Amino acid sequence: MRFFTATVLGLLTSSLAAATNLTSPSRLALPADFKPQQVFKNTNLVRNTNLEKGYVRETINVVVENIDKQAQTDYYIPFPSDVFERVGGFEVRDKKATDKGRFVVDATEAVSTSGNQYFIVHLPEPLAPKSQITLGISYSVLNSLSPRPATIGQSDKQYLHYAFSAYVPSAYQTITQKTKVKFPSTDVPDYTTTSDLKSGADPERKGATYTYGPYDTAKVVPGTEYPIAVRYEFTNPVVTVHLLERDLEVSHWGGNLATEDRYWLRNNGSELTSQFSRVDWTFANYQRAPTSAVREITYPLKPGSVDPYFIDDIGNVSTSRYRPGNGKTAGNLELKPRYPIFGGWNYSFKVGWNNDLAAFLRETAKPDSWVLKVPFIQGPKASEGVQYERVVVRVVLPEGAHNVRFQTAEGSSSNGLPGANQIHASLSSFKTFMDTLGRTTLTLEVDGLTDEARDAELIVTYDYTLMDALRKPLTLFGGLLSVFIALWAISNIDVSIKKR
Amino acid sequence: MSLNEVWEAASASPFQPLVPKDSQFFVGFCLLLLAVIFTGLFGLNRSFLSLASVGLPASLLFGFGSVFMICAVGVYV
Repeated sequence: MRFFTATVLGLLTSSLAAATNLTSPSRLALPADFKPQQVFKNTNLVRNTNLEKGYVRETINVVVENIDKQAQTDYYIPFPSDVFERVGGFEVRDKKATDKGRFVVDATEAVSTSGNQYFIVHLPEPLAPKSQITLGISYSVLNSLSPRPATIGQSDKQYLHYAFSAYVPSAYQTITQKTKVKFPSTDVPDYTTTSDLKSGADPERKGATYTYGPYDTAKVVPGTEYPIAVRYEFTNPVVTVHLLERDLEVSHWGGNLATEDRYWLRNNGSELTSQFSRVDWTFANYQRAPTSAVREITYPLKPGSVDPYFIDDIGNVSTSRYRPGNGKTAGNLELKPRYPIFGGWNYSFKVGWNNDLAAFLRETAKPDSWVLKVPFIQGPKASEGVQYERVVVRVVLPEGAHNVRFQTAEGSSSNGLPGANQIHASLSSFKTFMDTLGRTTLTLEVDGLTDEARDAELIVTYDYTLMDALRKPLTLFGGLLSVFIALWAISNIDVSIKKR
Repeated sequence: MSLNEVWEAASASPFQPLVPKDSQFFVGFCLLLLAVIFTGLFGLNRSFLSLASVGLPASLLFGFGSVFMICAVGVYV
């Protein structure tokens, strides 16, 4: 048995070492007086700021021209350090060839003199002098909306405040630029009007979209700020997941994919001025009036999901309903938390369910090699959006799986995830029922995600041989056989009292 | 070759479990029942011949039976 254990332990150790493409995000250190070289010029820049959800989603389309005498590959995008840490799902593509995929982006440490941190976009092909490229930059900024007033009554409307600069932060000279801000409704009581930036009204209003600019900023020094603040109605919860831990357990013996999501949730909206009134809440609930509290969480599940559960710190929460799909359509898990989650309130819970493994696992052409495709996160679907401060996804592969590789599926549009080099990946061993060595576990950690990443898919390949699969039954077989041999040996010992 | 291409290339060979979920309890129960009977038979006659003819299959049946039974009750190993 010891030999057996030692052999398989040796196999596992080598397999963990052989696992490839594991990444750990690193940030490039820059000199204290670093300033990007003025080798580019932003000919035209349009920023779309979307405030319809509980976080800020920005897409910037910018025409970049190389004004240097040599071809250039690195384009710097600056952010103040405090904002940089809250930027999530940063992605840059060639706007005219989005299907070619995202560009490789590196992050840097803060530069001490300016306080800026940079994303360095590596263009796949050097940009020749005087030629142009249109970059499509998209990202979310978490926790940048603050409720004003900070406290409201239970049935009052909620307003959020957002501050930004009319000039888009850029490391390079920008010729013309404008910013379109999309609000959730036309109820915008306060917004900054500029007087000296352009002729005519600024911003121009069209329904729920306010346009600042276009500004002629050819003579404006890069990095100049012009503060703008807006305050708008958002009578919805600002759902913030402080931490999401997601476990995906693959079982070849059981033919099952078990999923469990553990949430630590918070509402970042306005807090209650006075004490919570159950009567007012019941009344507002009956009328289905808009509220700043989380009333219900709708959780779409893949077709074929079974055995759902909803548990919080106290125990099973019975106020949930599962509407399974009809085999091909997705099911919906409707969860009502134990109490409405008002601004500043927390709620932690876990949900889990099972799926048939056949829909998620395939055997590759290489013998004993498997490919698994699973959703990176699933999470609640809500019009007000969900922001995730930290997500830890654990893929628990069968015991003995080795040569693990992973990738996130990329399409022609953003999948809401940051680049592969911004995802921290590690391999470990997780010991649970019937395990002798522990199951190979791939852990992926990402900071700053939003519900945009709900459609992102994770692909994992691993090797898993017949001998790996037989480890569990053979261990039990060996155990019971040892008992039988011991019984046989003991029963053969002659303990009778007689003359020898 | 990206892993997504590996996934697409393998579309013809989805995973097939050895025993479908619906049959796991039946298979596990049968194997364990046989294992118990064989263990009883070994208990009656603890000779070497009996060890080889009854004890060995009982251990094998117990090994596979318990794996299927634990899956059948919802602990997917």
